[in-house]
Amino acid sequence: MADDLVLEMRDIRKEFPGVVANDEVSFDVRRGEVHALLGENGAGKSTLMNILYGLYKPDGGEIRLGGKPVSFSSAREAIEAGIGMVHQHFMLIPVMTVAENIVLGTEPRKGVLLDEAVADRRVADMAKTFRFEVDPEARVEDISVGQQQRVEIMKALYRNADLLILDEPTAVLTPQEASDLFEILRTLQREGLSIIFISHKLNEVLEIADRITVLRRGKTIETVPAQGATEALLARAMVGRDVLLRVEKKQAEPGDVLLEVRDLHVRDDRGIEKVRGMSFDVRAGEIVGIAGVDGNGQSELIDALTGLQKIESGTAMIAGRALTHASARAALDAGMGHIPEDRQRRGLVLEFSIAENIALHDYAKPPDAKWGWLFPNRMVQRARTLIREFDVRGGGPLTRAGGLSGGNQQKLVAAREIARDPKVLIAAQPTRGLDVGAIEYLHRRLVAERDEGRAILLVSLELEEIMSLSDRILVIYEGEVVGEHTGEVTEEQIGLEMLGGREAEAA
Amino acid sequence: MTDPGPSPPPEQAAETGTLAARIALKQRAGGIVVPIFTVIFALVMSGIVVAATQHSVHTALLVYKEIFDGAGLNWIFHPTTSLLDINAYNLSQTLLQTSTLILTGLSVAFAFRCGMFNIGGQGQYFVGLIVANWLGVNFAGMNPFAHILLCIVAGTLAAAAYAGIAGVLKATVGAHEVISTIMLNWIAFWLASWLFGDGGPLQNSTQPTVPVSNQVSPGARLPDFWGVQGFQGVHIGLFIALAAVVVFWVLLNRTTVGYEVRAVGFNPDAAAYGGISVKKNFIRAMAISGAFAGLAGAIDMLGGTTNYQFGQLDVPFSQVGFIGIAVALLGRNTAVGTLFGALLFGGLLYGSFHGLGSSSVIDPQLAGNLTYIIQGLIVLFIGADVLILYVWNSRKKLRRPPAKPAKPAEATAA
Amino acid sequence: MSTWAARLENPLSASLRDARATGALGIFLGALAAFLAIPPIEARTVTWPILVGIVAAALGVWTVTRGRRRLGWGAVAAGVLGIGLGILATRSSTENLGTAFDATLVAQTFSFATPLVFGALGGMFSERSGVVNIGLEGMMLMGAFWGVYGADKGGSWAVGLLVAAGVGGLVALVYAFFAIHLRSDQIVGGTGVNFLAVGITGYFFVQLYHNNPIPNGVSLLPNIKIISGNNFFAQAIGDLNILTWASFALVIVAYVVLFKTPIGLRIRACGEHPRAADTVGINVYAVRYGCVVLSGVLAALGGIYLSEGPQGNGSFLFNMTNGRGFIALAAMIFGNWRPAGAFGAAILFGFSSALALKLQVYSGSAATLFQILPYVLTLIAVAGVIGRTVAPAADGKPYVRQ
Repeated sequence: MADDLVLEMRDIRKEFPGVVANDEVSFDVRRGEVHALLGENGAGKSTLMNILYGLYKPDGGEIRLGGKPVSFSSAREAIEAGIGMVHQHFMLIPVMTVAENIVLGTEPRKGVLLDEAVADRRVADMAKTFRFEVDPEARVEDISVGQQQRVEIMKALYRNADLLILDEPTAVLTPQEASDLFEILRTLQREGLSIIFISHKLNEVLEIADRITVLRRGKTIETVPAQGATEALLARAMVGRDVLLRVEKKQAEPGDVLLEVRDLHVRDDRGIEKVRGMSFDVRAGEIVGIAGVDGNGQSELIDALTGLQKIESGTAMIAGRALTHASARAALDAGMGHIPEDRQRRGLVLEFSIAENIALHDYAKPPDAKWGWLFPNRMVQRARTLIREFDVRGGGPLTRAGGLSGGNQQKLVAAREIARDPKVLIAAQPTRGLDVGAIEYLHRRLVAERDEGRAILLVSLELEEIMSLSDRILVIYEGEVVGEHTGEVTEEQIGLEMLGGREAEAA
Repeated sequence: MTDPGPSPPPEQAAETGTLAARIALKQRAGGIVVPIFTVIFALVMSGIVVAATQHSVHTALLVYKEIFDGAGLNWIFHPTTSLLDINAYNLSQTLLQTSTLILTGLSVAFAFRCGMFNIGGQGQYFVGLIVANWLGVNFAGMNPFAHILLCIVAGTLAAAAYAGIAGVLKATVGAHEVISTIMLNWIAFWLASWLFGDGGPLQNSTQPTVPVSNQVSPGARLPDFWGVQGFQGVHIGLFIALAAVVVFWVLLNRTTVGYEVRAVGFNPDAAAYGGISVKKNFIRAMAISGAFAGLAGAIDMLGGTTNYQFGQLDVPFSQVGFIGIAVALLGRNTAVGTLFGALLFGGLLYGSFHGLGSSSVIDPQLAGNLTYIIQGLIVLFIGADVLILYVWNSRKKLRRPPAKPAKPAEATAA
Repeated sequence: MSTWAARLENPLSASLRDARATGALGIFLGALAAFLAIPPIEARTVTWPILVGIVAAALGVWTVTRGRRRLGWGAVAAGVLGIGLGILATRSSTENLGTAFDATLVAQTFSFATPLVFGALGGMFSERSGVVNIGLEGMMLMGAFWGVYGADKGGSWAVGLLVAAGVGGLVALVYAFFAIHLRSDQIVGGTGVNFLAVGITGYFFVQLYHNNPIPNGVSLLPNIKIISGNNFFAQAIGDLNILTWASFALVIVAYVVLFKTPIGLRIRACGEHPRAADTVGINVYAVRYGCVVLSGVLAALGGIYLSEGPQGNGSFLFNMTNGRGFIALAAMIFGNWRPAGAFGAAILFGFSSALALKLQVYSGSAATLFQILPYVLTLIAVAGVIGRTVAPAADGKPYVRQ
């Protein structure tokens, strides 16, 4: 390992209140290599890179850049030391031109004026050298996402970066754009740049990286050369063999189809088609888990099914009622329950009391209200019953929801949704960020509701959760259902499908 | 506000709860602290201006005493219902001023509760005033009760529709309500100047050179309940304003409309998820907000606050709609808070006008301007609660051991 | 979203350029329609204004169908207005016409526009950097009063200018501290500044001048004469105030600074995406402070024109801005946060004020009503009927460093 290390990170530790995001992580990069950082969501990849880039301060450990110990307190210092980062969400100004974005902050001047000609020329030269194929004078909002990403890379190169961090660079790209990106990365590599490539897609990591470091739950699992590594091996290292949270449950007894989705197409707010022809059923008395890597259409699917996003084409029926032109209200009335992904942004009005939050869907109906008149006492009454039934701790009906702990907030959301006696219950990331006790409670509750005869659609990024709760698993990739499993299936198998590794499966 | 629920008592929960909970606790403490601090701060700072320009701290103190007396607040030391008593009379005038400010304050507060800034209260006030004048001057033979009702309802609805324009623009094309209400303010400003001005449609019929409207016909005037012949008395508009406070509270806290308004105001995403139409609420809340301001205009016209008429030259000097912003902010956009805010500004306006205007402590003409300064400082500092809470909290820090770190789960939610 | 829209539009851009010329021609013809009926041409028949106006409106409709909505509707409006004014003019006496439409209308337009140009460009700098400035009105008012004070005590209009600029900058600095560091709501803060300015100027006006008009003989902002004689041009643009000339220069300077210099690039970056600016080493706070202070200085210079310019004649009046700060704000919005656009809007609004003054020979009442025009136009502009106005993306959003 003595050969020309550009970067060494030794025993990096970073704690957020109560959670160890990086636990003695070690990692190094050689000159001219592409080093992939592989791990699931929340494995600590981004934290590690934010530490390197000066955005977070580590609690322990040492960073050496080119052999010298460094400690950055801002991104600016990291940039000056030759580190460039391409964020997942681009730091580009849409209304400005490519050249303007690139030179911003270190502009070429002609007297007091901005020397646009020189800026354009330099950018054009750079584009030619690295074959970026980007027009310096085009406005960023007018070029494709793939080209925008190249602009981000050029920004780093323009500032003489020799270590480039790419945070999930292919997440926003089409396959064609991704392979163009790899072409560029190889060119950069030949020019002597070192690249850190963060990803959770196995196939592309194997394709581009020289070495691969796998992180899991904030720890370094292993660093292996890409030569000789296989998808199956990496998947196991990534997912791990930790003890699963096993949930006691009987064999499911599926009944009628309560949620029927046929050839569903949904676009996101930016007009990009994120759900591309999904079809599936969820029956009464079963839990169907949707496994997939973040951003493969989960949010758009849920929003469409709950009336929060327009259905582009196809149908979704709740207990026989079509949702094609539905509003959130119509979905609720058809018998849809929804534990949303983000309880603080969407699931709760944090400034409202527990009682008011419980009334969020039915505030205008008896017993909460009649003829537009609210009955707060009845709301409180109902809240008191539900607080007891769902074991929400930390306050009474009039306590502000924002004052509850995360686990109790989630129980509150679950209480509201389940108490409405929905036919279909969508649980999106129901246990994200919760402690073990709350997770266990919610899991048991979901199984109990299944046994009550509800159709439950579980969407989670935690494979373990999907595996332990679901009676049936659908794997989605890029807006399509790519696998369905009912019986025994290994995590590796699902992991491979989630990561788009269908070809490897055949091999 | 707390309920003796099961499991741990809420107070304890707040102490040991999440970071968010503790911040909320401080902000609720700030709910009382910030307005009081702000007012004291504004009074002290304007006191400094007076002391510096008059070269006497004593004068500055006297100024505040004169404002206090001028507002009739020393009436509490010698209460009497006789308006021949100067203190009682001053108090009655303060109450008149307060009635208007309650309504314009509620107007701003209601929009705020739905997450919008209705800066157009002044324009909506003009609309209410114009319509009430137009209908009050005409239909002279009507039954007085019906006539008054007609004027008030029509003025209120017209202002609601006028404010609704801003709501519709926000809901449909996303135009920022601040910009549209500013424009609507000035449109109403010039509309009023034109209507009441020389040759304008509402100009009086007897003196063509005087740019003032006709007086509202006697039948359409609000009766005084506390007044003497020949002086401006306190009309029942005060009760209408107090009723509006109750309506505001009930509407927000006891109806589904209010539930929707508050949900949208706190968290539009969660409201939409709950099945509430956010756009509909923008329009409706803006209209209701405008209704309060329009009602203010109507009762000012019918109550004789402007001598039952309005003139072109009164237009630029009418500021009650703008003061409503300060009232609402000071009252933290609550019903009761707005009431107190209105009382404070009502006293300040009349007290400085009358108390300082009739004494020789300082040049009487300084009085009104001093009010503006105080008002400006209040608005400026009420918006900067970060500053005041910082002062407040650093005081607390001295006494308390450092707080425990937040619960684990919350911090990793991102 | 915009990416896709832009891609679709690209092939159309050639035809859009044609539409642009057509729209401009439409607006020109609309103006011509009215112009035909007033001196010096003074056609006494309605035929010509109607004919030309209809052509203008037709061109406007065609432009709209080609996607240039703002320009197209502008041409339609110009055509209709042209016909209306043309008809009115042919019905009015030649004598009145002569009073209303002469060279001084042009001079008056520039005169009314001058404070608006300063205010609008000031607001533009502030908002381009990401800070909404509702307090323009108050900053203008401060300039109006302290400018006279400076000219009176300092004995020279130049001192007045310096004092006005200094006080305007100071008020803006206070506002910037609240908006940027304390992250107080910018609308609330601006409203506070407006109240405070009314109070402070009113208070010191009484304290220092006892509410009397400031004594005669205060040094006024001088006019600069470039054309002498008695011809049209000499009367229209030959003899304008120094600040009016400065406002013309300011538009060019503002354009160059904002779009042609590194600092302008950085200002715009802070208003569009402050985090992106921060990550490349730009001090967002410093840029915003600078821009807000600059906006205060410019607004105050607009304000001093009201009191120290040819209309003010060296005297201050209580709350004399009377909404001009808000018209300046409107001009900035109407001009789509661009120097030339803001200037154009200020000229348009100035013209409507000048015309309102002239229309008093017909009807004082109608002249008053005419004052509504800037606000109605701006309301229509923000409603998106004539194309969208787009504020900087981060306008009004406080920035918190990581």
